Amino acid sequence: MRRGAAPILLVLYLFAAAAGTMALKVATDRIPRARVPGSSIIYLPSGKYLKVATFGYNLLAADLIYLWSIQYYSNYEIKDRFAYLERIFTIISELDPRYTDPYEVGALIAVAEAQDPELALKILDMGLAKNPEQWVFPFEAGHIAQMTLKDFERAQRYYEKCLAIPGAPVFVSRLRANAMFKRGDLQTAWQTWLEIYDTATDDEVRKVASNHLYQVKAAIDSGDLAEAVKAFQTRYDRLPASLEDLLRTGIRSALPKDLDGQDYVYDPATGAVKAPTIPWKR
Amino acid sequence: MKVGAIALNTFKEAKRDRILYLLFFFAAGAIIFARILAMLTVGDRLKIVKDVGLAAISIFGILMAILMGTGLVYKEIDKKTIYTLLAKPIHRAQFLLGKFLGLVLTLFIMTGLMGLIFLGIVFAHSLRFEGRLLIAVLFIFLELILITAVAILFSSFSTPILSSIFSLSFALIGHLSWGLETLIKKLPSPAARAAARGLYAILPDLENFNFRTEVVYGLPIPPAIYLHATAYGLVYTAFILGLAVLVFRRRDFI
Repeated sequence: MRRGAAPILLVLYLFAAAAGTMALKVATDRIPRARVPGSSIIYLPSGKYLKVATFGYNLLAADLIYLWSIQYYSNYEIKDRFAYLERIFTIISELDPRYTDPYEVGALIAVAEAQDPELALKILDMGLAKNPEQWVFPFEAGHIAQMTLKDFERAQRYYEKCLAIPGAPVFVSRLRANAMFKRGDLQTAWQTWLEIYDTATDDEVRKVASNHLYQVKAAIDSGDLAEAVKAFQTRYDRLPASLEDLLRTGIRSALPKDLDGQDYVYDPATGAVKAPTIPWKR
Repeated sequence: MKVGAIALNTFKEAKRDRILYLLFFFAAGAIIFARILAMLTVGDRLKIVKDVGLAAISIFGILMAILMGTGLVYKEIDKKTIYTLLAKPIHRAQFLLGKFLGLVLTLFIMTGLMGLIFLGIVFAHSLRFEGRLLIAVLFIFLELILITAVAILFSSFSTPILSSIFSLSFALIGHLSWGLETLIKKLPSPAARAAARGLYAILPDLENFNFRTEVVYGLPIPPAIYLHATAYGLVYTAFILGLAVLVFRRRDFI
């Protein structure tokens, strides 16, 4: 062999070996293998034990499990990936209770991906228990209770918890008032919106509060009028031709007007009563 | 004077040690990698950068202290250079202290460099200088001083491999000893509780030097704890060095 050829051959050999290794790795990865469902998670010890086992590097361990969990829950090929959702986020919270991102992301995954709003509320409750100064947890829980579960009473309780924490944004009081309205507590909703209207510091908030007051009043008045229409129907076995029929027959002594002083709209074919204006278009 | 000369020579020797640069390279790599790792998160990326950076300084600092500290005395014995040294009017305590200070100086420079890279990465991420992170780095260095003393203690009577295992165990126990508090509360027998309390007092508590949670989350640190943790670290180091001198004085090199 010619002198100087050996190093070239060695380099070529190294390239060939490296290429072979990479090709074999890719080929091996392509072979489907049987796996135990959730096998990458079930052997992860609880956060309490893991905290001891991390020898003081619990923040780092929490970061790594959190980063891994984001990748794991983004993998749509793992069908049973939500089976251990609570366990994973409990472990992270035990390792680093003050780390707020995992509670928020965990709740988001639970409600949006796993379709498990109760679990989302559980994760957010856990976050609040460990970080009582963070208003964001009851705020998000209230939002989930209101928008996903349609449990307005629960939403109202979460918003009240949120408002009790210093630094909570003022718009939460509006969400609370809206939850009250949605659960049918119209008198309290009226009082709350009135308070928001009276204490508003800018015109935009005052306008929003005014629209909500309009909506609440319309709901109260429409309810009253619907009952009067029902009483008329029971008495005369027909629907009134107009709302004035309620006055003529003495069922009502006066007809209410909306917040802008307009008459409510009555449909004699169905007996339905509605506000003359859409609150948000006033 | 003699201690200073030995310390300076130990520092020069440590500077030539490849393992130091290898560990420093990995530490710097881990700190820089933290920035890439942070991209994978949803939420506060800076928190990941800080956690990984501080953990890298701590882990690689401990490895430097152990891997270099355990070989310090052994190398002198193995290469028989200790005969030349001890034949001179040098007390064995001066020899050990010089070795210890030389390695502490090396670790100070290495921790400082790792800290600079770390602060640079944090600055690149947040565009603000977070001086409070230096508190955590400073106490990591204090922990490294104690571990260096432990490594020298084991190195004075054992082989580097065994000394490394013992020193690493010391570091691990030091970060676990807080668990004894839970055990003390759960032990039914008063005698067992007293024994566990005694063990808790003797065992090192390296969590006293762990301020990573406080600096990462910006939590308040009671000022008294700085003094207490520093005094604890220095007194424990002095105790371990005293033990090392005691063992080393009794060693026969003939």
